[in-house]
Amino acid sequence: MLEPEIKEHNRFFLNMGPQHPSTHGVLLIVLEMEGEYVLDPQPVLGFIHRMHEKMGESRPCSSFMPNTARMDYVCALPYNHGYVSLIERKAGIEVPKRAEYIRVITSELNRVASHLLWLGAYLLDLGAFTPILYTFDDREHILDILESITGSRLTYCYYRFGGVCQDIDDKFIEATRAFVKRMRKRYAIYEKLVTKNIIFIKRTENIGIVSPDMALRYGMTGPNLRGSGIAYDVRKNEPYSVYPEFEFEIPVGEQGDCLDRYMVRIREIEQSLRIIEQALDRLPDGPVRSKVPKNIKLTPGDCNFAVEAARGELSYYLLGDGTSTPYRLKVRVPSYSNLSCLPELGRGILLPDLVSILGSFDLVIPEIDR
Amino acid sequence: MVKDTKDYKEDFLNQGFDATETAYDQRGYHLEVVLNVNQVRKFAQTAYELGFYLVFVTGFHVRPDEGHDTGNSGLEVVYQFARYDQPYRIKACVSVPNSLEVPSISDIYQGANWHERETRDFYGVVFGGHPNLNPLLLAEEDADFHPLLKEETNLKSLHEVSWPSEAPEVAKEGAEDETGR
Amino acid sequence: MGEENKISPIGPDLDVYAANLKSKFCLPVVGQSRDYGEGPLLRMKLTDTILKLCQANSLWPMTFGIACCAIEMMGTGMARFDISRYGSEVFRPSPRQSDLMIVAGTVNKKLAPVLLTLYEQMPSPKWVIALGNCAISGGPFKVKGNYNIIEGADKLIPVDVYVPGCPPRPEGLLEGILKVQEKITGIRHPIPQNRHPKSPLKKVKGLRVK
Repeated sequence: MLEPEIKEHNRFFLNMGPQHPSTHGVLLIVLEMEGEYVLDPQPVLGFIHRMHEKMGESRPCSSFMPNTARMDYVCALPYNHGYVSLIERKAGIEVPKRAEYIRVITSELNRVASHLLWLGAYLLDLGAFTPILYTFDDREHILDILESITGSRLTYCYYRFGGVCQDIDDKFIEATRAFVKRMRKRYAIYEKLVTKNIIFIKRTENIGIVSPDMALRYGMTGPNLRGSGIAYDVRKNEPYSVYPEFEFEIPVGEQGDCLDRYMVRIREIEQSLRIIEQALDRLPDGPVRSKVPKNIKLTPGDCNFAVEAARGELSYYLLGDGTSTPYRLKVRVPSYSNLSCLPELGRGILLPDLVSILGSFDLVIPEIDR
Repeated sequence: MVKDTKDYKEDFLNQGFDATETAYDQRGYHLEVVLNVNQVRKFAQTAYELGFYLVFVTGFHVRPDEGHDTGNSGLEVVYQFARYDQPYRIKACVSVPNSLEVPSISDIYQGANWHERETRDFYGVVFGGHPNLNPLLLAEEDADFHPLLKEETNLKSLHEVSWPSEAPEVAKEGAEDETGR
Repeated sequence: MGEENKISPIGPDLDVYAANLKSKFCLPVVGQSRDYGEGPLLRMKLTDTILKLCQANSLWPMTFGIACCAIEMMGTGMARFDISRYGSEVFRPSPRQSDLMIVAGTVNKKLAPVLLTLYEQMPSPKWVIALGNCAISGGPFKVKGNYNIIEGADKLIPVDVYVPGCPPRPEGLLEGILKVQEKITGIRHPIPQNRHPKSPLKKVKGLRVK
């Protein structure tokens, strides 16, 4: 953070967004500028508020599945996972082992796809056009694999209460193994093109340092928090599904600047590939969906379920009232808390640094606005 | 990767809060606290000193109880806190009085700033001491429109949306029994 | 407390809002400056045809990705689907430099003035593609109790091509671009070498295609 000289006649307000060339979504940030320095960034939300929570409490609980995918469309399967697990916890539904393994494999594939998209978009913000072509190419491979079993490319509705919608076949398993092998070879390209690039390092090192105390006060989670040195991952802290059976590490950064957040995400891709390999090796046989009643009655009382989405901790909170329609459904999205620290973090910085910080936070605005 | 688990119930009971342990497998959180409007800030301060982070602040709308002496409005504000180093989730519930005012905790937890603005947008709860209560998600002209308030026909009482209590004599306390033990 | 809160009726109230908002902006009337109806003083068939050919083959889209469909729009611009072979080489962020607006996502009450401002700022002639179900009719968010979603971008701006899907495949967006090209010039592949070898060439008045 640099201290600018205060010259009153150089001050002006600048609107960043809601239509701007980065791919975060429709976010308006009103910047009070002093020359090239940002004095006070204030985000303005609500341009994509689509009434998800209202829809959650006006229809039966099984009708909310498409909404879960549209909140964060880049990484939709963990959102599906959280919601079906919430209803399963509330109604006491058992999930077969094979279905749990399939859920983990597909969620981790989606996490890799989300990080690849983030990488391409971040570098596009910083001005590099080549990496996004490579990452989107890798991502298309994942989308092909997932499309063969889920049927959609982006907004998946694959999980059901009690399991998954349909079984995976040998073609899927072979394609996933081939992809894991291919992705590991691509690391060398990204290493040479991006990580060792002097321009990239200059634009991300020591920029946007988030201290652990600041992260706690704002409730940040996910790779943004892990870049600051706190090893918090819901998959290890409050394990759900079959994650306790897999061996994987949680990468952490040291300083909390943009470069650390980048390194955390790159290493998370590798850990996700490890989980996918282990899950494919141990995939059990059996049914993929248990029998559930058509109309699931939610008993009175509240329930909470937290999962690790690509951007942080995603929490669903439900109030049941005895019918099959939730009385209240609250979705706590990770990007909401991650973005709320921007007014404090972005004081007195240069405008290009603000672009770099926003990119490194990996925001998806429709999930913030819900 | 849980290193050492500590039970925080005693820390909250010692400060005078009404805390009960809950079954995590059933509900998804470990501790449940019922708060008075005046205890909100002290609770947030205690949680901050113990190292909890704020997960969310939200509300819900139930039918107001008749005959309750503070004349509650039917709105409830829910806070959730959790920890980074061990699995421990706390859910705290506050009944909003008729004046619709709840003290804000945005100077202790800055993350609550936006959560409280959103709760005001959806329910109309005014957080006293909040620096900026402009609409966050709704358009400016809709500042008085609170979309998540339920219509009269859909309202249920708090008892109907809470866990059934096991001990019958606790249930006799009526409106005090907010969450069912 | 209950009487102050009025859940606004769906549909009519938001339509009234959209109509009122439209009247505050100056949008082209159909037949004027978009269709060359009353346009230039001197019209020569040859220059007209050549102009339309040039416009159709270099439609520059504006980046107006709002929600999920934006990712498919980005995917269309990338290496596998490659929108630049149809002329849309660059996605211009500035509306002043683009002539195709792809409304990719749900239009909100708060976003409606933004959409109209951007549409106004684009210089004529301009075309609009409504990508995805949300931009066509509100999509999965057109529900009872809707208080915020404008049901379709065409309640605000004139739309030329509708591409359905939730989200539509990138091939769908490419088909939309081809349809806009067909709308401008009258033929599907204005540059003959772009067409698939097996698709028939359509003969159009005024343009002799070998």
